[in-house]
Amino acid sequence: MLWFGFGFNGFGQIYAREETVTEGTTDAHEVKVSCPTLVKKNVNKCTCKHNSTELQQIQASWSRRISLQLKDDSCVFLDGFSGLGAKKCCGFVEQSHRCIDAFNTESHLILAFRDRTEVWDFEKSENSPVWAAIQGHIWKHLASTKLPLVPEGYISLKHLLSSLIPHLQAKSLALGPEHVILLSATGAVYTWGQGSHGQLGHGILTSEEEPRAVEALWGVPVKAVAAGGWHSCCVSATADLYVWGWNEAGQLGLPSRGVKKIQQQSSQDKDESTQTEDKEVFISIQAFPALLDLNPQCEIKAVSSEGSLYTWGWGEYGQLGHQNLISLDEPQCVEYFQKHQLHVTDVVCGAWNTFTAVLKKEEIQKSPYDNKRGLCTAYKEVSLCTLECLEGV
Amino acid sequence: MCHAHCSGSRRPHLPSAGASLEIRLIETFLSMTVLWSKLAAVLPPNEDEFLLQFSDKVDSSVVEMLTRSRQQLYNDTTSDRLLLTAQIILDFSWEKLNTGTWRDVDKEWRRVYSYGCLFKVAAICWKDPTEDKLQQAIKTCDMGLLMGAAIMNDIIQSIVKILQSEVKRLNTEEGQDEHVKTKRLKIELPQCPRIPVIKDDLAIPRVKCPSLESFNSDYLLPLKPVILEGTIDHWPALNDHPWSIEYLRSVAGFRTVPVEVGSRYTDEEWSQTLTTVNDFIDKFILSKDQGKGVGYLAQHQLFDQIPELKDDIRIPDYCCLGDTEEEHITVNAWFGPGGTVSPLHQDPQQNLLAQVVGSKYIRLYSPEHTDKLYPHQSSLLYNTSQVDVENPDMERFPDFTQAPYLECVLRPGDVLFIPVQHWHYVRSLQLSFSVSFWWT
Repeated sequence: MLWFGFGFNGFGQIYAREETVTEGTTDAHEVKVSCPTLVKKNVNKCTCKHNSTELQQIQASWSRRISLQLKDDSCVFLDGFSGLGAKKCCGFVEQSHRCIDAFNTESHLILAFRDRTEVWDFEKSENSPVWAAIQGHIWKHLASTKLPLVPEGYISLKHLLSSLIPHLQAKSLALGPEHVILLSATGAVYTWGQGSHGQLGHGILTSEEEPRAVEALWGVPVKAVAAGGWHSCCVSATADLYVWGWNEAGQLGLPSRGVKKIQQQSSQDKDESTQTEDKEVFISIQAFPALLDLNPQCEIKAVSSEGSLYTWGWGEYGQLGHQNLISLDEPQCVEYFQKHQLHVTDVVCGAWNTFTAVLKKEEIQKSPYDNKRGLCTAYKEVSLCTLECLEGV
Repeated sequence: MCHAHCSGSRRPHLPSAGASLEIRLIETFLSMTVLWSKLAAVLPPNEDEFLLQFSDKVDSSVVEMLTRSRQQLYNDTTSDRLLLTAQIILDFSWEKLNTGTWRDVDKEWRRVYSYGCLFKVAAICWKDPTEDKLQQAIKTCDMGLLMGAAIMNDIIQSIVKILQSEVKRLNTEEGQDEHVKTKRLKIELPQCPRIPVIKDDLAIPRVKCPSLESFNSDYLLPLKPVILEGTIDHWPALNDHPWSIEYLRSVAGFRTVPVEVGSRYTDEEWSQTLTTVNDFIDKFILSKDQGKGVGYLAQHQLFDQIPELKDDIRIPDYCCLGDTEEEHITVNAWFGPGGTVSPLHQDPQQNLLAQVVGSKYIRLYSPEHTDKLYPHQSSLLYNTSQVDVENPDMERFPDFTQAPYLECVLRPGDVLFIPVQHWHYVRSLQLSFSVSFWWT
C-alpha cells in the first residue's frame, strides 16, 4: 500500500528536504504541495533498528504526521514538527512500542495498547504520559473501534476521558475543535458541543451539552461520520452524502460567497459588471443536514468510477490535490489518481493537508483491502473516496 | 540614513544575533525608501530585541513559525518567504479566533494574530509599495487592531499612522481627482418623508446645561430620561473640525471598519461585513438607492481604532457620577444614512447618546412596561422586542399600544440620557453620526 500526501508541508510533514531536515521547509512550492506526492519512508538513513517500509495508517495534525506500523513490531513514526524525543533518523517514537492504535492532535499523542490507553504531551520531555487508563477485557469486544473512542468513552483534550452512555452504542466518533459527532452501531448520528455555525445539524445555532440525535437523519443508516473545524458530514449505506455547518470556504460543497469573491478577485474583474453575484443564492450556514449531489460534477468514465477521490472546500495550501491553490465550493474529482492508474482506498486529513492510501489498479484483485473509512475532513475541506469502497465496512 | 558607525562592510553570513535592519538594507538597496526607514524606526533594531513571548496556550509549532518570520524579517533580501510565513500565522490564529465565543478566545491567540499582521505588513511594504499595496497594508493593520490584541507598545497604531501619511503623500503628488468630485456633491440628501411630529405630552423633557447635582438628583437617580442641551457645543466635532463626509474621508478613508448590512439586526438578511470607510460612504451613503440595502457603521469603538477622531469628542462630565473609570467607559460610533433602524431593545448600562450630525427619531419605554413589549425568548435576543415600533402587528402584539412612551427628534448638539434598561428604538431621519457613552 502506498500513501500520497498533498497540502500544507510547512514542517516537512508530507516530505522533508533531504539537507535541512531541522530547519523545515520555507519556500512556497515546498510549503504548499499541490500535487499528490508519494510519502516515502527514508529507510537508508536510519540508525536505529526500528524502521519500516510499510505504513498501515497515517494520522495528521496541523504540524505533524504520525505513521502507524501495525504488523510485527508495532509502533508509531513521527514526521513534521518534532516532539516526544522521536528518533531523528526515522521518527520512531519510543513510547509507542507495541501500541495497537494511535491518534494525534496538535498538542498530544494518544496511544492505545492492549491493556491501557495513554495520552502524551508532544512538548513535554518527561518519560511518563500526561494521563493513562488501564482497561481489562473490554478491548476484545470493541476491537473494531477507533481512537479517540475507547471502551469507556472517548478522549478529548478538554476533559481527557469523557464517558459515553452505553445506550449510544458508539461505533465511531469524530472530534472537531469545538464539537463532536458520534455514529452509533444502529446507524444513528449524535452531535454535541458548540453550535454557533450550525455544525450540530439540529437546525438552530445554540450549543448542546449532551449528545443529541440529529433528527433530520432519523431512519437513514449512516456508515461514516466526520467533523471539520465548523462543519460535519456523514455518508449513508445507500451512498448518500450529507453536509452541514459553516460554508465560508465552500467546505459544504454548496455555493459560497467567500469562494466566489476570491474567484472574482483573481480573475481581475474589478468593474461593477459583476452584478450577477447579487442574484446568486449563497449559503453561509447550513444548520440542517443537506444532501450533496456529487454526480453532476464528475466526468469519470463508468469503468473507473471506483476508487476515485473527490475533494472540495478550502484549497489555499493545495490540500484539494487539484494541482492548484484554488478553493472550491463544488466537489471535484482528483484527476491525478485516475491518470496514474491508482485506486484510492483510504483518505485521512490533517488540519490543512490530505493523505490518501492507494493501490495500483492491478493489485486490487489480488489483495482485498480493509477500508475503515472513506470520508475525512480537514478544518475547512472535505475529502471523500467514492463510496464503493465502503462496502467492506 | 546612514549612521556613522555603519562600516559598510560586506554582510557576513550572520548568526541571527546582531543582524541589524539598517546594515542589511544599505547593502541590499542603493537607496532606502523613506517609508521603510520610518517603519524600521518603530521596529526593534535587531532580531535579538524583537521579543516573541507567549504563554503555554500557544503551541510550540506556532512559536516556531513566528520565529521563522522574525528571522526572515531581519535576514531575507526579498519578502516572499516572510509573506508566506506571515499568512500561515494569520490562517492558524484566525481559526483560533473563530473557535468558541469571542469572550472565550484566549488573548494570546489575538496577540499571535497581531504578530501575523505585523509580519504581513512588513512584507507588503518591502520595496516601494504602490498605493494599492499601501491600502492593503492599512487594511491588514486594521484587522490587527480589530481582531488582535496590542503588541510591542501598540506598534500597529504607530505603523498605520506612517502608512496613512505615506498614502497622503502619494495622493498629493497625483492629485485627488475622484474625491474632489464627491466634495462638490451636495450632501443635502432629501429629508426622509416620515419625520414624526412630536406631541408635547409625549416629548422627552429638555434641559439646558444642568449642574451635575441637579442631573444626578432629577434624572440619574430616579432613572428618568432627559435631553441635555448645550453640553457638547465645545466639541471640536461641532466646531473647528466639523464632522463631514470629506473630513471623515481625509482622516479615515482607507481604514477598515465593521458595517452592518440589512434593515435591522433582527432580520434574517442581516449580516456584518468589513469595508473601508471610503467604500462604506460610496456604497451606503452616497448611492444608497442602488439596491445594496441599508448599511450602518453601528456600535463600533471607532475612537480606539482611529485616535484622531477621539480628539474631536469629549467624555461628558455627567459620566463621572457613575462608578466606571474614564478609560473603561465604552464609547461607540453610530454612522449611517437616513433610514437605519435599531429595533426596540434595552442595554445593561447607562447611556448618554450625543448627536453630532443629522437627526434621529427616538422612542423610549420604561422597563416597568416590559410585559407589553414582547421581548424575544431566545438567549441571543432576550433584550430585544419582537415588535416593529412604527408598524406594530396588532394581532400578534395586542398590548403593545397600551404601553406608554416618550419620544423625540434628536438633533445636532443634543445629548439624550437613556437610563439603564430603558427600552429604546432609534431611526435615523437623514445622514447621521452619533456617539454613545456606556457607563455604570
